[in-house]
Amino acid sequence: MTPRFLSIACVLVFAASVAAQTVPTRRSYDAEFLGPPLADPVLQHAKETFVLFGCAYCHGLNLVSRGEATDLMHSALVGRDENGNHIGPLLRAGIPQTAKLSPMPQFSDLSDQQIAAIVTWIHYARQQGRYQELTATPARAGDAAAGKAYFERSCSMCHAVDRDLSGIGRKYDASALRAAMLDPKGLKVERSFTSARLHDTNLASARQRHQGLLENYSADEVANLVAYLASFR
Amino acid sequence: MTSTRRHFGKVLLAGVSAFAVQSARAAFAQTHPPNRSLINGVQFGLQPFCYHDLAMTRENRGELIRRLVRNGMGMVELHATWVEPRFNDPGVSAAAARDRLRAWRVSPPTGYYRGIRKELDDAGVSVFTYYVNFDDSYTDAEIDATFEGAKILGARGCVGSFGLAVSRRLVSFPGRHGMFLGLHNHDNLSDPDAYASEASMVTGLSLSPDFKMMLDVRHFTAADGDCVGFLERHHDRIAGMHVGDRRKHNGRSAPFGEGDAPIIELLRMVRDNRWPIVALLEFEHGTLRPEVEEVDLMFEYCKRAVA
Repeated sequence: MTPRFLSIACVLVFAASVAAQTVPTRRSYDAEFLGPPLADPVLQHAKETFVLFGCAYCHGLNLVSRGEATDLMHSALVGRDENGNHIGPLLRAGIPQTAKLSPMPQFSDLSDQQIAAIVTWIHYARQQGRYQELTATPARAGDAAAGKAYFERSCSMCHAVDRDLSGIGRKYDASALRAAMLDPKGLKVERSFTSARLHDTNLASARQRHQGLLENYSADEVANLVAYLASFR
Repeated sequence: MTSTRRHFGKVLLAGVSAFAVQSARAAFAQTHPPNRSLINGVQFGLQPFCYHDLAMTRENRGELIRRLVRNGMGMVELHATWVEPRFNDPGVSAAAARDRLRAWRVSPPTGYYRGIRKELDDAGVSVFTYYVNFDDSYTDAEIDATFEGAKILGARGCVGSFGLAVSRRLVSFPGRHGMFLGLHNHDNLSDPDAYASEASMVTGLSLSPDFKMMLDVRHFTAADGDCVGFLERHHDRIAGMHVGDRRKHNGRSAPFGEGDAPIIELLRMVRDNRWPIVALLEFEHGTLRPEVEEVDLMFEYCKRAVA
């Protein structure tokens, strides 16, 4: 082996090692933490925004909170929120006065769109979580009178047992009623931006209304409502 | 030039001294391999809370160590949950689980901590601090046992999230184990027991010479504290810093350089003054990248700061 060959080999090895060090690390999507991308790009964007601003690290990507963070899955304030009317101002101001070790930070520099995306994810994740909680709970016998009161308070502005729900207890048994309540048609309606449907407020309000109900149902409320509706034969 | 006996003696002495120093260095280098995250005199490490996707359990410790090595970290602040077993099995009440954990801490299996120390040593990772959230539920024997376990792991101190009241109770413990107790500040300025303002931290430090600050730069920035001034005034009582970024006025966490924390100034002060203050990277800002890549990026920011 000649000295010239050796020197060339050394130069090549050095060049290769330098090149290896300067190849930029490929930046990738953390599928392990974030899960596979969702089919709905709006929800995917909402989820990524929730992660990007650090919400997920304390409150949990799927709202299973870590440490001392508020449990958003069961928060009354989140339950009352409509389109960010409660969550938005709280995000902007934070909660500086608290008994917790670390106060909730303020996010005053976020745009309206970013706040809206975070709010969207919180409600969506809460609906998913509540759906899992409720479907995992065995069905129980409900109180039809309490169900009637709930119906009149929360459902009667859109539904009536003598109109669209006439004889509903004859058409569906209790388990089918329960399944329809927890996975209603209203939630399956996709958002549309076509001009023909832009002002379809019925669809929009149905979706929003059912989202609000689903994320706030208790197991007793579901059982009572099923008992009430099943009585219309 | 004439050579006298005195001159010859001086030369001989200098030679022997130089040889002794070299030998000592060589021996030290054999027993203490160069720490891979010692950068231009600044010792970096990681608070592995940054691996948000990795549950802090002893079952995940192997993966933690692999990630630390992958990130070029030679030092870590190890939370007790990476080490201790959990007893909160389904059906076990919180009180019963706590009792069982206490019993385990007081009488850990023989060689338990030494085995973990070996795992870390083999990977070239040393434990700087052991993170334990001491509270009123700890018995004295449990506190002593925790310090003892931490010492076997190689930790120089125990750190935790607690306030002045708990600190007062802990005054006598670190000294008898030859360790320090690290006071970790958060940013709750409304709680008089919390370490958040400079005054509260000074009060805590005054309780014992064995108390040192684990200055959380992120939280102190969010609490509108003067990080640079605090380091200037109290550097001799600061064992380490949690280095990360946040915005002022209880602001949100941000990637390094996007918040209000003076990370570059702080690291350069440590470098230029050769203060033995360990810089533990810790962040809570969100990212869509895998956490190992995010740690790489934040570490690169710090390396440039001390380059």
